[in-house]
Amino acid sequence: MIICRDVAKSYSHGRGNKRVFDGVNLTVKRGERVALLGRNGAGKSTLIKLIGGVELPSSGKIIRQMSVSWPLGFAGGFQGSLTGYDNARFIARIYQRDYADVRTFVEEFTELGSQLKMPVKTYSSGMRARLAFALSLSIEFDCYLIDEIILVGDQNFQRKCQIEMFEKREDRAMIVASHSPDFMRQFCNKAVIIDKGKADTYDDVDLALNIYSGL
Amino acid sequence: MASSSLSKLRASWAIQVRVIHALMIRELITRFGRDNIGFLWIMAEPLLFAGLVGALWHFTHGATEHGINVIAFVATGYIPITLFRHGVSRSVAVFTVNQSLLYHRQIKIVDFILTRFVIEFLGGMMAYLFMAIVLMIFGQFPMPADFGLLIAGWFLYSSFCFAICLIIAPLSEMSEAMEKFIPATTYIMIPFSGLFYMLSWLTPAAREFLLLSPFVNGMEMMRKGIWGDQVTVYYNIWNPIICSAVAALIGLILCRRVRRMLTVE
Repeated sequence: MIICRDVAKSYSHGRGNKRVFDGVNLTVKRGERVALLGRNGAGKSTLIKLIGGVELPSSGKIIRQMSVSWPLGFAGGFQGSLTGYDNARFIARIYQRDYADVRTFVEEFTELGSQLKMPVKTYSSGMRARLAFALSLSIEFDCYLIDEIILVGDQNFQRKCQIEMFEKREDRAMIVASHSPDFMRQFCNKAVIIDKGKADTYDDVDLALNIYSGL
Repeated sequence: MASSSLSKLRASWAIQVRVIHALMIRELITRFGRDNIGFLWIMAEPLLFAGLVGALWHFTHGATEHGINVIAFVATGYIPITLFRHGVSRSVAVFTVNQSLLYHRQIKIVDFILTRFVIEFLGGMMAYLFMAIVLMIFGQFPMPADFGLLIAGWFLYSSFCFAICLIIAPLSEMSEAMEKFIPATTYIMIPFSGLFYMLSWLTPAAREFLLLSPFVNGMEMMRKGIWGDQVTVYYNIWNPIICSAVAALIGLILCRRVRRMLTVE
C-alpha cells in the first residue's frame, strides 16, 4: 500500500513561491491501476516524483509499504553519458540483481541491438522509453510509476508493454500520468483528478474522465 | 526489538556500500573513460604539481631547507593540499550534477560527496606512494620513520577535508555566489595548510596561531612520520578530530535541509 497523508509541496525560486499541492490524500492498494488526470502544470509529474521519493514533500508524509519503481519518464533514472549496457550494469548493482539476467532481459525487450553500446544521450525518446521500461521490468516492483512515457513507443513497443506490463504483471499496482483517455479507460480501475492543488479520487474511471474533460 | 533494529542497520549499511561501489565505478568511467591509462589519471595532477613545484624549489632554495630535502618537503606538502582543493571543487554543485541518480531511492545525497571524495582520497594516496617510491630510487626521499604516524596524519587531514566538503556541497546548492568565492578561499587557505613550513621554523606566537588549523596539525604529524627525529614538530591530535566532527555535523544538517528543497528535473 502507498499512503499519501496531507502532502503539500511548494517550490520557491528567488522571491517567487509556487504552491503545487496543499493537503493531498491518496491511498493506492496492491494491484490498483491509478490514472492521474490533470491539465498541463497541474502537478501530475510532481506527485509521481513525490511518491517515487525523487523529491520530498514540503509537509505531510508518504508511506510506502510495497516496493515502488523509480518514475519512468524521459528524464532521470539513467545517465546520458553512459551507454545502455553501463546503465543496465549500474541498475543491476544498486538493486542487487544479477547483471547477466538484467542484460538478457534488456536486450530482448528493447531490441536495440548494438545501439546499447552507445551513450544514452544519443537515443531518441522512443528508445529511451524502451530502455526505461526494460530496466524497471527487469528489477520487478510491486508498483510502477509511469510518467507520460507509455505512448511514445511504436506499435511493436506498445504490444510488448501490453504483454509484459499489463498481462504478465497484472497483479502489480501502477500509477500512470497520461493524456490518453482510451488508454486510461482500457487499463485503469481508479482515477485521480489533480486540480487547484487538490487530488480527488474516483473509483469510476469513466466518470472521472467526464469530469476531467469538463475542467 | 534491539536485534531487529540492528539487522535493519546492517541491511542499510550493505545497501550503502553497494551504492557507493556502483557510484564509484560510474564516476571513474565518466571521468576518465576506458581509454589509455584510464583511472590512473587521478594520480597525474597531484604528481605534476608536487614534482614541478618541488623541482622549482630545488633550484631556487637549494637542495635542502633546515636540513630537509626540499623536493621531498614540497611534495609531502602538495599532495595533501591537492586533495583538499580537488575535494572542495568537486563538491560544488555535486547534487545538481548527479540529480538524475536521485530517481533511485537507495542513493542518498551524501553518497555523491563520499564517492567523489573517496576517489580523490585514493588518488592522493596512490600519488603519494608512487612519488615516494620514485624519489626514493633517486635518493631524494627518506624511508618513513613512523608509518603509523604518517598514515594517522593523512587520515586526520583527509577527514577534515571531507567534513569541509560536506558543508561546501549543500552551501553551493543554496547560493550560486558561493561558487565564486571558492577559488579565492582555497588559495588564501594555502598559508594555513602547513604546506611551505614547519612550525618549529616559526616564532612561538605564529606557531600558537597556526596550531588552530586542523590542516597544520595533520601536516606536522605526517612530516614527523616521515623524518622522525630529524625534525621537531608540534601537534595536537584532538584539534583535527574535534574540528572534523563539528564540521561534519554542520554539513550533515545542511545536507538534510537542502535535500528537502532539491528540485529534480
